[in-house]
Amino acid sequence: MSRLEAKKPSLFITDPLTKDGVSQSLSLLNRILKSCYGPAGQLKQLHNGMGGYVCTTSQSSAILSRLPVSHPVLGVLMASVQNHISRFSDCGLFTAILCCSLIENFKSLNIASCTVIKISKHLLSLCMDYLKSETCGCRVAVDFSSVETLLCLVRSVLRSKPACMLNKTEVDHLATLILKAFLFTVPCHAESNAVLGKCVIVPMKSRRVMDSAVLPGLLIEVPEIQLAKPLTVKRTCSNMIKIALFCLSMSGDSFSPKEGTITVHHGISLEMSELNQLLNVGKQLVNDEVGLVVCQKVIHPSLKQYLKENGVIAVDRAGLSLMEPLSRMTGSKPIASIHDLSPGCYGSLKDVCVESFASKNFVHLIPNDTVVCSLVLCNRNETTWDELKRACETAEHVLQLTLKEPLALLGGGCTETHLASYIRYKSCSLSTSSFEDIGCSQTQYQLVADGFCRSLESVARSLNHDEGEILTDMVYGHCWFVPPGFPPASSWSDLVSKCGCGVNGNGENLKWRLLQGQFGSVVTQDCPKEPLVKAADFLTLDCYAAKCSGLQVALETANLISDLLYVIKDQN
Amino acid sequence: MMVACACSYRAATGDGAKTFVILLAGVLRGLCAAGGGLRRALQAFEAQVLERAVALGLRRHLLSALSGPEDEADLEALLEAYLAGRLGPGERRLLARLCSEYCCRCAPAAAARPQALRLLGRRFAELHAAVAGLPVASSRVLPGLVLRRDFATYCPAGEELRAVLVTEPLRPALSAPSVEFVVDSEGQYRASLQWIARRTEALMKHLQNNNIKLLLSSVKQEEVVIYYAKIYGISVVECLSSEEMALICEITGVSPCAPFGDNRYGEIMETAVAAFCQPLLLGSKRCAHIGFTSVCTFQPHCLILCGPVDSVNEQHAAALQEAFIMLQQLFKTVEQREEYKAGDESQSEASGVCSWHFSATQMQLAIENNSCNSTQVSEGQSKAHKDEVETHIVDPDSQVCDNPVCVQTDLRIPSSPILHIKEFSGATEGDGSSQSVQKPHAECEHLLAIHKNYESDSLVDSQKHQNTAVLACNANAGTACESLDVGEDLEETSCNIVPLKHEESSVSTAQNYSGSLIKAGSVLPVGGYFEVLLHYYIQHYAKQFQQLELAVVSNIVADALLSIPKSLYGTTERNSFNKFYLGAINALRKNEPLPMNGKGLESVYCKYHLVISVLHCVTELLSIDLIIGVKRPLQKAEDYDSENDL
Repeated sequence: MSRLEAKKPSLFITDPLTKDGVSQSLSLLNRILKSCYGPAGQLKQLHNGMGGYVCTTSQSSAILSRLPVSHPVLGVLMASVQNHISRFSDCGLFTAILCCSLIENFKSLNIASCTVIKISKHLLSLCMDYLKSETCGCRVAVDFSSVETLLCLVRSVLRSKPACMLNKTEVDHLATLILKAFLFTVPCHAESNAVLGKCVIVPMKSRRVMDSAVLPGLLIEVPEIQLAKPLTVKRTCSNMIKIALFCLSMSGDSFSPKEGTITVHHGISLEMSELNQLLNVGKQLVNDEVGLVVCQKVIHPSLKQYLKENGVIAVDRAGLSLMEPLSRMTGSKPIASIHDLSPGCYGSLKDVCVESFASKNFVHLIPNDTVVCSLVLCNRNETTWDELKRACETAEHVLQLTLKEPLALLGGGCTETHLASYIRYKSCSLSTSSFEDIGCSQTQYQLVADGFCRSLESVARSLNHDEGEILTDMVYGHCWFVPPGFPPASSWSDLVSKCGCGVNGNGENLKWRLLQGQFGSVVTQDCPKEPLVKAADFLTLDCYAAKCSGLQVALETANLISDLLYVIKDQN
Repeated sequence: MMVACACSYRAATGDGAKTFVILLAGVLRGLCAAGGGLRRALQAFEAQVLERAVALGLRRHLLSALSGPEDEADLEALLEAYLAGRLGPGERRLLARLCSEYCCRCAPAAAARPQALRLLGRRFAELHAAVAGLPVASSRVLPGLVLRRDFATYCPAGEELRAVLVTEPLRPALSAPSVEFVVDSEGQYRASLQWIARRTEALMKHLQNNNIKLLLSSVKQEEVVIYYAKIYGISVVECLSSEEMALICEITGVSPCAPFGDNRYGEIMETAVAAFCQPLLLGSKRCAHIGFTSVCTFQPHCLILCGPVDSVNEQHAAALQEAFIMLQQLFKTVEQREEYKAGDESQSEASGVCSWHFSATQMQLAIENNSCNSTQVSEGQSKAHKDEVETHIVDPDSQVCDNPVCVQTDLRIPSSPILHIKEFSGATEGDGSSQSVQKPHAECEHLLAIHKNYESDSLVDSQKHQNTAVLACNANAGTACESLDVGEDLEETSCNIVPLKHEESSVSTAQNYSGSLIKAGSVLPVGGYFEVLLHYYIQHYAKQFQQLELAVVSNIVADALLSIPKSLYGTTERNSFNKFYLGAINALRKNEPLPMNGKGLESVYCKYHLVISVLHCVTELLSIDLIIGVKRPLQKAEDYDSENDL
């Protein structure tokens, strides 16, 4: 019997942002996320007091999906960032930190939220127009004819995940592997709407990172195969291996009427009937010169034995996730009927061999067309492996996004400070008619623009986790880090050597100023210039599409939250 | 009851629940201050003053939208003003532009727009797709339909392709519910399975021979079906919702086919044509994107809504759907009777008002009257009642030649009683009541509908006030009149109506119509202009009448109208309302054009409808003199009887 419970009244919160609890948890979230940001970010250990799995990470995707939030306002923020991550994989922390900073900065302005929203929308459109324009000083065109910029992108992703515990050589090795794997998945013959292939990650825990490898084709784990015996496969006359792919169970117990009943007379065995049919299929496979049979589910031992005796390799329990890449790679159509095999279903392979990694044995299917590849990913323990897997997936996604839009943004905080300098310059040079269009005064606009720039700069500032100073220069608007422990009196040009992204060296007099927090004086700013050389080898680069979208989503979410007047929550 | 009225108004026009409450509060406050006994004057006011004020005063100031070449800009202005009440300031301009682009692409011809809007309002859930995690600015309009599920199998096809719809599994089953399949021998069993596989293959081959490249199924198909479809180059999308199927049928004009029918080897007639068919990646979900060729004026397009979180997308979608409903109202007209016979202040006057809305009320009350003496409902009554419906269909048709846009509206008139009754039933029993009214032949169906109204009303009430059931509607309609002490009120209400002897007179008055009170597509700028104008003209025309009560009511309504712009301007600066009001009134006195500065527009039809609805709600409220709380929920046992009679 169901229990009747008295209805609880709905939770009703007026003006949620001014409440202490909300702003405290917001700033706590902001501090947590800021401390994770960048290559020097601090790790977070997430675990349940009851025991169980412990997650050590600094990635937004892992933190946000595990962090419990009680307040609906924070729920909106986290959902928004998580949605961004599921679209782009990258720039989750950037989006989250920017969003929190924007909310805090806008709240402290004391301007009607409606006006703030209009002005910030205008500021965002200035940013987006600039980022899309050819003259943009903080973006780099990605040249797919050389691997250098692509490697920079992948390295930046890997280096910003300190919980992977990689050293420099390991980062370089993995970056090369990831890029190689990605290049495998790009079809050789470009059509108008080509579809990328797939890189399947094969887990290999408690191994050295340097043991990781990329192989064309697929690896299917087969515990029972003997390594000692060399694999002999039947080949067709054109020296290809014919492969049949089954997506139904071949265990011989597949009959099950969905509805109604089946009455079986005494002495008749449907199992036998099924098995006979399976053996018929086996016979046909042998006749059709099939060399390899892969089944998604289980193959009946008798059929397996029959195939083995006739020199056909049978692999079962391949799993649903491998079916699509298998079918893509071999050109075969998954067979769903054991009554009628159409010869058009078979696919072909170049070679099949046995590989062994650690203690595991695999059948390695080598295709003619290598749009599908396997990345054997090794790391020391389970936690670091999980982190590394997320990092690799992010890197692959970043490469895919870059292929679509061959641009990258300068990393290391330089894009943020550069954009802030640009907005400071632009907001001073707006005409009065544009203020009328927005419906605000010039002072209001200046205040909001300042808050916006400070939020951007606070993202750059959170890259630094020790006591050192952070500077920005007045020429390029890039971001510079001063190592800690120097007296404040010393000249900055002696202390800094390279900016955050690595484009600018300390060659000319760049007129540095401190990137300050809330109490920065209003800075007059010239339009930041584009750096002269943009082709250094070891640049820190960020994904263009992810960062642009992150910027927009952060502002939209901040606007959404600062526009909240009431929160009404049903507590039943 | 007030909430139910406001909600029903909003459901009908997609707008104005807040304004409804403000105006209602204003009128009630005024009436309370003035004292009781003004209920009858309210109806007289509506018929005499309000209509006159609109016809003679307001009409001059109306602007016409959607007639010129700049209709897309008009549409945008209307939508922006509408969305201003719904969405944050950041997104509304962008969405208004997107939405007007969407409307114009779905109905490139202006004449097709009302029909397209109706389809959009009804089927918007299937006509848009939401992607969370992208900025709102990434929203866009795509040609064709996006079905939010992946292809079960996809085979790239050339340019134009043919598609069939199915609603049943294509693989024949070995046995069915309550069917026993007896296996005599292994050979027979194997042969049966073989036959099933062959049969499935033959079917797919048959589809291929008919040049069909796409199979849309409302049910999940077996793996074997997918397998053969792949072999024969047919793409399959399965598990379509019934709404999606209905939409596809509506757009393409085909109906689902039954491939197991007799014409197994004949040509398949029911095929839809699509210009393209491809997978579409929306966020991380793969969808089927199909460019159906439309057989009606509606050109299928899909709106992709992007937003940082799902709830934002839901909010945007809901706002847009209601915006489409609001835009539909724009194409409606309010009919007008030119002459009022002076001194004809008796009952016939009340029922003679010819705005469709009022006739709907009248009719509803007529039905209620029937239900009062339901013991002996004569066939003639129901017939007469039906005739009345028909006259209302026919009347406005006589002016079609004057105003071609009228056609749409006129066609809707017969359905207006349905709407009205639906409103009362508070949407909980919407299906049942509308169904019953669609067949106006059977008397008992009407009764059923009305009983249902009562039932749902009391349901709503009992939920809200726990055990205090408000007998509001019951008192007004008078089912409970014998036992309760509201007999007098009831008599007054029903004698105001005189429902059944008017079939002839309503035909005769119909000839007096000339033009419409509010033309289709009439708009005014936003910002309280409608209210100020109406306020001014009500006061102006009320002076011409002698009755004291009428003048009092006129003043109350006119002042209540001003409460809307007051609260509109109240949020900005203290003095701005006074400034606006004085400016507008001075301009009116001098017969100058109004000082208009806003960019947004609003539909006058909706506004007028709002005022009328509020007046009806007030009348209804005033008819209650006693609220009786009962401990048990009210039950309507006879409902089940009448249902069984059907």
